[in-house]
Amino acid sequence: MSTEQTRASDEARPATAAPQAPSRRSGAGRRLLVALVFLVPALLLLGALVVYPIFFSVLRSLYDKPGDTFVGLENYTRIFEDRQTFIALRNTVLWVVIVPATVTAIGLVFAVLTERVRWSTAFKTVVFMPMAISFLSAGVIWRIVYEIDPGRGLINAGLQGASDLVRGPGSFPGARPSIEDGIEPTPEGGYRTTDGYEPGQTVDLGLVAIPPDLVPESAQPAATSVSAGPDELAGAIWLDFTTGGGGERGVVDPTERGLPGATVAAIAPDGTVVAEAKAGDDGTYVLTGLDPGTSYRVELTRDTFRESFQGYTWLATPLVIPATMVAYIWIWAGFAMVVIASGLAAIPREMLEAARVDGATEWQVFRRVTVPLLSPVLVVVLVTLVINVLKVFDLVLVLVPGSAQADANVIALQMWRASFGGANDFGLGSALAVFLFVLVLPAMFFNLKRFRTGA
Amino acid sequence: MLMQGTMRWIRAFALVATLALIAAACGNGDDGTDTPEAPDVDLTGQSIEVAGVWAEGTGELQRINDVLDAFADLTGASVSFTSTGDDIAAVLGPRVEGGDPPDVAFLPQPGLLRDFAAQDALIPLDETATATIEANFASTWSDLASVDGTLYGVWFKLSNKSTFWYNSNALGDAGVTPPTTWDELVAGMATLSDFGVAPHAVDGASGWVLSDWFENVYLRVAGPEMYDQLTNHEIPWTDPTVITALERMAEVMQGDLLAGGTDGTLQSEFPNSVTLAFADPPQAGMVYEGDFVGGVIGTETDAVVGEDADFVDFPSIDGSPTSVVVSGDAAVLMRDSEAGQALINYLATAEAAEVWASQGGFTSANTGVDTSVYPDDITRRSAEALVGAGDAAKFDMSDLQPAEFGSTAGQGIWGLLQEFVRTGDVQGTAEALEDAASRAFG
Amino acid sequence: MATTAADEAVATTASGSGGGFASRMVRRLTSGPVAVVLAVIGVLWLLPTFGLLMSSFRSAADNNQSGWWTAITDPAQLTIANYQTLLDNEGLVRSFFNTVLISVPSSLILVLIAALAAFAFAWIDFKGRDVIFLVVVALLVVPLQISLIPVSRLYGQLGLFGTIPGVILYHVAFGLPFAIFLLRNFFIGIPAELLEAARMDGAGEMKVFFRVVLPLGIPAIASLLIFQFMWVWNDLLVALVFAGPAAQPLTAAIREQLRTFGGNVDIIATGSFIQMAVPLIVFFAFQRYFVQGLLAGSQR
Repeated sequence: MSTEQTRASDEARPATAAPQAPSRRSGAGRRLLVALVFLVPALLLLGALVVYPIFFSVLRSLYDKPGDTFVGLENYTRIFEDRQTFIALRNTVLWVVIVPATVTAIGLVFAVLTERVRWSTAFKTVVFMPMAISFLSAGVIWRIVYEIDPGRGLINAGLQGASDLVRGPGSFPGARPSIEDGIEPTPEGGYRTTDGYEPGQTVDLGLVAIPPDLVPESAQPAATSVSAGPDELAGAIWLDFTTGGGGERGVVDPTERGLPGATVAAIAPDGTVVAEAKAGDDGTYVLTGLDPGTSYRVELTRDTFRESFQGYTWLATPLVIPATMVAYIWIWAGFAMVVIASGLAAIPREMLEAARVDGATEWQVFRRVTVPLLSPVLVVVLVTLVINVLKVFDLVLVLVPGSAQADANVIALQMWRASFGGANDFGLGSALAVFLFVLVLPAMFFNLKRFRTGA
Repeated sequence: MLMQGTMRWIRAFALVATLALIAAACGNGDDGTDTPEAPDVDLTGQSIEVAGVWAEGTGELQRINDVLDAFADLTGASVSFTSTGDDIAAVLGPRVEGGDPPDVAFLPQPGLLRDFAAQDALIPLDETATATIEANFASTWSDLASVDGTLYGVWFKLSNKSTFWYNSNALGDAGVTPPTTWDELVAGMATLSDFGVAPHAVDGASGWVLSDWFENVYLRVAGPEMYDQLTNHEIPWTDPTVITALERMAEVMQGDLLAGGTDGTLQSEFPNSVTLAFADPPQAGMVYEGDFVGGVIGTETDAVVGEDADFVDFPSIDGSPTSVVVSGDAAVLMRDSEAGQALINYLATAEAAEVWASQGGFTSANTGVDTSVYPDDITRRSAEALVGAGDAAKFDMSDLQPAEFGSTAGQGIWGLLQEFVRTGDVQGTAEALEDAASRAFG
Repeated sequence: MATTAADEAVATTASGSGGGFASRMVRRLTSGPVAVVLAVIGVLWLLPTFGLLMSSFRSAADNNQSGWWTAITDPAQLTIANYQTLLDNEGLVRSFFNTVLISVPSSLILVLIAALAAFAFAWIDFKGRDVIFLVVVALLVVPLQISLIPVSRLYGQLGLFGTIPGVILYHVAFGLPFAIFLLRNFFIGIPAELLEAARMDGAGEMKVFFRVVLPLGIPAIASLLIFQFMWVWNDLLVALVFAGPAAQPLTAAIREQLRTFGGNVDIIATGSFIQMAVPLIVFFAFQRYFVQGLLAGSQR
């Protein structure tokens, strides 16, 4: 009974100080020796492969590109003069502030929620799966998601599908009149004749920029002499382009076909739409019910030309940084979730039950008992993520196209570029690496201090 | 490091002397006037490692192995090839530091060759190889593989980067004849636009395609000598010839002439631009890049080169003569070995080039190569244009310049030309290019 | 699954009738909507990877021209050709074994060395402990790239360059800061009395470590093993630099299949799934294992 209570109170303060061993003069020395036995393998490896390179880098950063001339702090001044580095720094700060907290929060929510569901292992596997994928694959996956072309990009395809459901594209998206004289674009997206025509006249309007596969199968050779009654305006809407070349603009050439489905309207002088019609298989349209004395302008309405949703540019300013962050969060949330879940599982149920018996609501149990008990684990996750985010470079390298690299740049990537990205300037690369290291140290010290004095 | 370098020089000199003696003794191509034959040297028992960027996926791995096998058969040496992938600098750098470089490496940029030479990572070529190279290649090629007068490599495989590819069906339907002059190109683009297909597709995402565009236009606007001057920053980027070249480019880089518009182009990577032009139905009528476009068409699309796809030489501007922008891979020696030197010598012979040339996807500047070995008309025309251009064959400018200006994503010539596509601002771009160049060239 | 059952078992035994019943009802009620939300999230989370899976069954030309969802309405597009090409490649099969040879030792050695060090930092009070711990954790920041050149030189001198042991040691070294950090944090939560009890029984520190600390630390150790294994399994950079042609792992071998100018979605997609299979199996297997370990813990 008392052991349980002691254990419970111990675990309520997870950052327990290590027990004091019996104080004997020789005790301290013996402890050091014992400690060394435990530490030697780690310290040896770290020293040779991690610490020595740091000193090497610091030294290397003081030399120029080929490595034989001492240049002192010149590489460091170059860092500060370079606009690219400033952008990289700004972006890195954004990453550090936003991403680790978001990932940890999501991981926490998932860890807690999955406890309530029977199929938690399945869910955990799904969320964790991205961690099993190499960064190259993850980059390709998200390229497919963010691709600008709605034919190939997942998000844009979805958006285009939704927008087409609401209002589909016109029959001839992207088309335009074949001759510029006498016809002008309207603000809504159609084309209207500049001159007016009195009923009884024939007005033929030719369009170009319609690829052959968009011409309906039912299209017939364009009508050449359409007659209009006294209260009608009629004519042909046709594709004014001869396949294989050789046609004349503005003239209905023998092989040119009409454009069924094109919508036409008659516009009165005051701007109102008086009649509407659709072109038939040979392009013929007839606008009826017109007043013989008035002169009307003929308009190809915008319904004919409306284009489908063209796709957002996810991988360019300003969306590229959030887009990359989302990909990163998708990959790492599983890590946070698994680590927090194992911490959560280590919390004895009795504590939670005790709180519930005392009348606490689920939310209060969560806030007052669960989270504080989890805090060492949360700190581990948060700190790991902060460090990892500072080092992120491969995701940005693979996901972001070259045209947006300058905007999405981060310090670790800048360092990679300097050292290996063609310039092979290890002096500058090393300087950037040292710079990164120096930037991070204060944050590390602060975190560890806070963590040591008890969470 | 210095000691090692000196030792290397001494050993290299000794090797050269020895080989020269052997060559003299065997009477092998000693007068240098006829094309030196394949090495007669017996290298049985020696094994060397060769590194290059070629990978399995393109079939190029098989072809370089064929070349190396031919060498092995001739000499009895055993040769293995290591594929480094595109990041050859990242892979070779540490190996050089680790004291374990390959014997021979194929470097894709002259700048990389210079960097390695500066680090004493390259062995100068011996007399035999040098003689073979001088006999078979125009002097540009030895110049491009030399540093301070010492020859380090041979340009084994080249790419003609002045091939303008088009979709034959699209152009046929639109009634456009493949353009040979700039004016024809602009007119053809207008017609294609009327036909309903985007006139051309450009990879605006990476930047190197845009720099190749600029280089081709500039070479035709200003000529080979000024091209060299601009490459070495002896004239500024605000020079009137640069302005003219940029203005020309602006004529064809307008949003409504590009597949996907300006935004789409800036997101479009190179393979995508080829796919757009050769999709069914086509999303673009033409796409410009080098002779390797043929290979991409074969693997990434269902179109057939020769039937649905063909190329013309990059259009001339104001009557400019046939000019070619070139890129390539140079074989260099990274470890002294007799077999390594012999391999380089072999690679400089027409015979070695023909092993790969006959299989396609390969162009050689070797004047000894009989162009009838090229497997199809397309490859042959591309090779003939390259060899025929003589002094008007210029190496890709951005590969010759400091990497931070010439070949880094998002900055320098790549980044600034991307901005140019976005804004169309000729003067502003020229000034920004001059700024960037001044900083890079120091 | 097992966790929830254990939860409920503990809940019913440890609590009184009224509060226990009500709490259980509350939990059952809220689990319905929770399940729906989680299901939706799960599907959305899976969608991008599913896209890659579909892409692996499509040809290069198809992947370049249209989206993977078109294969749902046009199944004729689907083909296993990509998998056949990759699996037929003998270099790939060899590299698979290399990957195992690199990943398994890296993970096991890391866990052992890190646990030893973490125990020292957590439970042995020696002079300078906190400073050294701080330095070790500060090394978390060091990016991999910094070491490529200096370690290449070092390995060259030691004859480790291009060998599998060289790659293993590199991975262990760079995994240590995080591993030590994670494990030390978990070990600290172990009740002092347990350690005291063992020491009182006359156990030396080593015995305490192996008999008391390691078993209790299993959840954290399992997590660590999974992460390190996956990290090393998927590594490309270190392999490219430090592994010679004979030591090449799966990542590098797949990379060799890439076309220089290619969309390559077909190859990358196929390679990804071939590569992903093992880490996922490892995760699945270890997931159950450390849940069992937790059960053992909470039934103490």
